[in-house]
Amino acid sequence: MNGLLASGRVSRGLLWTVLMLVVVLYGFPFLYLLSTSFKPPIETIAVPPSVFGSTFTLGNYVAALTKDGVVPSLVNSVVTAVISTLLSLGLALPAAYAITRFRTRFGRAFILIALVTRMVPAIVVGAPLIPLFRNLGINDTSFALAIAHTTISLPLSIWLMASFFEAVPEELEEAAKIDGAGRIGAFWRVVLPVVSGGIAVTAIFAFLASWNEFLFALLLTAVRAQTTPIAIANFQTQFGLDWGGMTALAAIYSVPVILLTIFLQRHIVAGLTLGAVKG
Amino acid sequence: MRITDRRFATLLMLPAAAFLGVFVVWPLGQFVADSFFDITPIGGERRFIGFGNYIAAFQSADFANAAWRTLAYTAIVVVLEFTIGFAVALLFAALGDRSRIFRTIFLYPLMIAPVVAGLLWRFLLIDNFGILNQLLAQVGILKTANQIAWLSDPNIALFSVALPDVWLTTSFITLVLFAGLQNVPGDVIEAARMDGARFPTLVFRIVIPLLRPVIAVAVILRGIDAARAFDVILIQTNGGPQGSTETLSLLIYRTLVRFGDPGLASAMGTLYLIGLMVVAVIAVTAIWRPGSTR
Repeated sequence: MNGLLASGRVSRGLLWTVLMLVVVLYGFPFLYLLSTSFKPPIETIAVPPSVFGSTFTLGNYVAALTKDGVVPSLVNSVVTAVISTLLSLGLALPAAYAITRFRTRFGRAFILIALVTRMVPAIVVGAPLIPLFRNLGINDTSFALAIAHTTISLPLSIWLMASFFEAVPEELEEAAKIDGAGRIGAFWRVVLPVVSGGIAVTAIFAFLASWNEFLFALLLTAVRAQTTPIAIANFQTQFGLDWGGMTALAAIYSVPVILLTIFLQRHIVAGLTLGAVKG
Repeated sequence: MRITDRRFATLLMLPAAAFLGVFVVWPLGQFVADSFFDITPIGGERRFIGFGNYIAAFQSADFANAAWRTLAYTAIVVVLEFTIGFAVALLFAALGDRSRIFRTIFLYPLMIAPVVAGLLWRFLLIDNFGILNQLLAQVGILKTANQIAWLSDPNIALFSVALPDVWLTTSFITLVLFAGLQNVPGDVIEAARMDGARFPTLVFRIVIPLLRPVIAVAVILRGIDAARAFDVILIQTNGGPQGSTETLSLLIYRTLVRFGDPGLASAMGTLYLIGLMVVAVIAVTAIWRPGSTR
């Protein structure tokens, strides 16, 4: 592929220049968010705006973290995302394994239905979940929100894990069974360790799906189980928007997952491109 | 006790199937059922009115307008993302392994919450103290910093609210197409070049046709997500100015929560869902064929 663009008339230097331009344009919005979060509050709405503040202050971070409900919302976000990830993996692993290994008619129908449920708009599922959770006595809890988030991540997890199980040679299990392992033993002790990389990728996606979700959190939580995306949106009041506090909390919320991306880049790329490129 | 493989497989799939049944299919059924009732928001009294809500939805100018806006929004997002995403994928492919670190940087918006992206872009584009217009004025593209009212001019607001969505997920298209480009055999390109094919010919006659399945999957996935966009728009404009950015998800949300008309909201949502499903099912069966060819 290297030869595609590098014809004689287009020089490599020009391509690098274009790339730098793209990267700067792509990186700028978040860098501006970071620089704003360190500005004195009054400078965040200065006219004309400037990229950097006159002084460097952590005031916005202090204000954001001491605002009512912000720290509990961070705890809720972590708890909800962890529960949802575990739930998603616990349900997706056996299902995806069964779909790829046994190829029954039910399995084929199931993966198709799982994919189609991914297309359902959140509002359509979210609205009826409100009375359902109320009747179950779990409304406004992290557990209920985690269940709602799992409706998003489970179909994705099944699809991803099915692709990873597909890559495990069946001979491996046959060997384990000859050695006296049962079907469950072969799955648990032989197959799962082989796909541990795939499990990690799936876990990241399930975690992010919950971490960044907004509409379910808006519909299904009130005070106790509120997550940080809602807390970020709450910097908007009828008196205007506290941009300093909002950017500070947005930075606190986004930087860990961005760092995660950089460390796990290769795995994330594998997960994102798996289904699409194979098909 | 020895159970058959088929039973064993069903047993393994059962928990996930039951979960999706209880928390997706059942609520979905509930939602569709609600669309045939007139429901008072407070007491929850239900009165069966047949297709009354559907008739109301079809007669509502808001619904028709929101449907068109949803289509327009989806088209804007998909066209911009595909154009930019494909160009950047070609760039990465041409520059080879040394561009790896930049591929990582390019990936980062994918991890950011849509609500953060929406607020951030609202901040970049806002009237008076938005930095984008200021920078455009400084480099001489705009005459004054107030020339474009990105989010408050009803004629362009739908385009402006799509920008954070484009910023967030163009990387996805780039990643998928970049991976696809790795599978394009180099000798095909070489042979075409030998025959004197120029760059546009190479791209439009050879690369795009070879990548067609990958492009289709990426574009369909993004298209469906864009058609369901909610938080990005809500947080930027809340459907305004003058309703110019009210897409179907926002209209349904408003009908449900603000106007308190669950019946009408359900009818609108059901029609919206049917539209999405028709596209999705055609796409899935025509392109993915999961489980059949593997």
